[in-house]
Amino acid sequence: MSSPSSSSWTEADRLDALRSYGVLETPHEKGFDDIVELAASLCGAPTALISLVEAHEQVFKARIGMDPDRTSRDVSFCDHAMREPGLTVVTDATADPRFRDNALVTGEPAIRFYAGAPLVSAEGLPLGSLCVIDYEPRPEGLTDLQARTLEILAGQVVSQMELRRAVRQVEQGRDALAESEARFRVIADSMPQMVWSTLPDGYHDYYNARWYEFTGVPDGSTDGEAWNGMFHPDDQARAWKIWRNSLETGDLYEIEYRLRRADGVYRWTLGRAVPLRNPDGEIIRWFGTCTDIDDLKRIEQGQALLSQELSHRIKNIFAVVSALIALSAREHPEAKDFARAVRDRIGALARAHEFVRPHSDVSRPLIGEMTLHGFLSSLFRPYAEPGGAPRVELVGEDALFDDQAATSVALLFHELATNAAKYGALSMPGGKVRLTTRAEDDRFILNWREIGGPAVSGPPERQGFGSSLASLSVEGQLGGRLERVWHVEGLEVTADLPETALSRRKAAQDRDRRGPVVDESVRAGGRAGH
Amino acid sequence: MTSRILIVEDEALVAMELRFVLEDLGHDVVDSVADAGTALDCARENHVDLALVDIHLSDGPSGVQLGRRLAEEGLTVLYMTANPGMVMGGVSGPLGVLSKPVDETGVKRAVDYALRRRAGEPVEYAPPELTVFA
Repeated sequence: MSSPSSSSWTEADRLDALRSYGVLETPHEKGFDDIVELAASLCGAPTALISLVEAHEQVFKARIGMDPDRTSRDVSFCDHAMREPGLTVVTDATADPRFRDNALVTGEPAIRFYAGAPLVSAEGLPLGSLCVIDYEPRPEGLTDLQARTLEILAGQVVSQMELRRAVRQVEQGRDALAESEARFRVIADSMPQMVWSTLPDGYHDYYNARWYEFTGVPDGSTDGEAWNGMFHPDDQARAWKIWRNSLETGDLYEIEYRLRRADGVYRWTLGRAVPLRNPDGEIIRWFGTCTDIDDLKRIEQGQALLSQELSHRIKNIFAVVSALIALSAREHPEAKDFARAVRDRIGALARAHEFVRPHSDVSRPLIGEMTLHGFLSSLFRPYAEPGGAPRVELVGEDALFDDQAATSVALLFHELATNAAKYGALSMPGGKVRLTTRAEDDRFILNWREIGGPAVSGPPERQGFGSSLASLSVEGQLGGRLERVWHVEGLEVTADLPETALSRRKAAQDRDRRGPVVDESVRAGGRAGH
Repeated sequence: MTSRILIVEDEALVAMELRFVLEDLGHDVVDSVADAGTALDCARENHVDLALVDIHLSDGPSGVQLGRRLAEEGLTVLYMTANPGMVMGGVSGPLGVLSKPVDETGVKRAVDYALRRRAGEPVEYAPPELTVFA
């Protein structure tokens, strides 16, 4: 084994390697002691050493015929020998310019003869040497057999050390694993969630303390597939199916089910699990949690109920106000038309609120989506052909709209439709309206075009309250522009709104969440159908 | 066509207005009651053709079940509610649901439709404000 060139390693590398064997400052070891004994007797030398060269001293891992267990590095023969490719033999140190002034030569123990074989690590780093020493010069040096044996024994020393290092690394790995496992258990057991783990085939082999505390079942009794029996009977098939699907596909497992608590009460629980994969991407384990969400569910249900109740009250108020107007008008027949107009407007508002108020699953309208088009088609339904075919055709991009915009949108289109039914396209059989909605840059444009009605001669002489209401809704409330053009074939009305006008609250939320930059996704956020 | 109609509605003003509208149309309003129990009693003690039933009554959201029971008693039933979502999925027995608020025209068209169906007359289209159960 040849020593690597000095440029390929540093003293720090060498010392790191030396210390990694764990043989410094440790008790005598028979394996090393036997080697020095063999080396000494084979070479007929009074002294033999395994010398490991530390930063400032050389430490004798095993020694025979030498009292101190270390010397200073600056008097070390081995520091020289370990850097040489082969055996270093000094027949008479007093005659060798490298060593004749060495304190171990000029003073005690008066070394004369030295033969050392380098100890070189598997990576090629010099660690020290195996040497024999005599206190008389030996002009004849070592026999070939002695020299060869010394080299072989040096190789055995290194092999022993490498073996020692390998065992040590395995032990350290095992300790680290045990520590990591202990840490995992402490963390898992201190979590408020139930934690579990399975083999890749779904066999449950671990649950944390919380699982046993919650379910009250004996340790180990839910290993394997017995966990499914802890679910509510109505949830078992569904949970099993979703879990098998995750096992087959490796997809995230997520489900809400009812889990039986120790007292027999079933609690709503959120179950989640993710697969742990090896570097080849194969699933080696599943880790899962169960979180008790029963209280949360109850709060949610309570809120939904409250919101539904509130919404019912609001809609009821529209009905009561509408009835009140009708009853009041009965005493004043001359106010009949007036009352009808007000009631129609209130009806339009009530309808709009049906589409924007917070809905629970129960109160959500089943007919039509909760979008602009959904609302408008509901608003225009009374104007439909007897067979139900709409006379106001809705085309273009749909949009979401919220309660802040509902009043304005409802009033605008109620007025347009009422007006069309009285004077415009909807006042004649075959007359139609085409309502086109589209997003254009940062605007949302609604175009109302009447066709097939009576010929239009120009703007009406007097602007009625209905028209004012429409203008007020668009320009005042929605911050847009309203333009009317009286074509001969029918009225055209264009409402040009800021894109955020229909969903101001959502636009504000998007802004808060994503900062002031208006990007494509924010623009899209205010609209449905993307 | 004059018929005997029962109003089940817990908002007095709405009930009163509805009564006037129905009477203007020439119908005979048998009674106007605010809870399910009274409604059932009234239907059993009187001859009633049609019941207009709100869903939220003075004894809670009992209108859905009441509609079913009245239909079993042989009445034609229309729900009339501000919250049509609660029965939009359809209820067996009652004919359909009318969304409140609704004007005279809407009431007239829905009641006419219901009575013609009761009489077994062919009716081509349901009025637009009425959602008819499948």
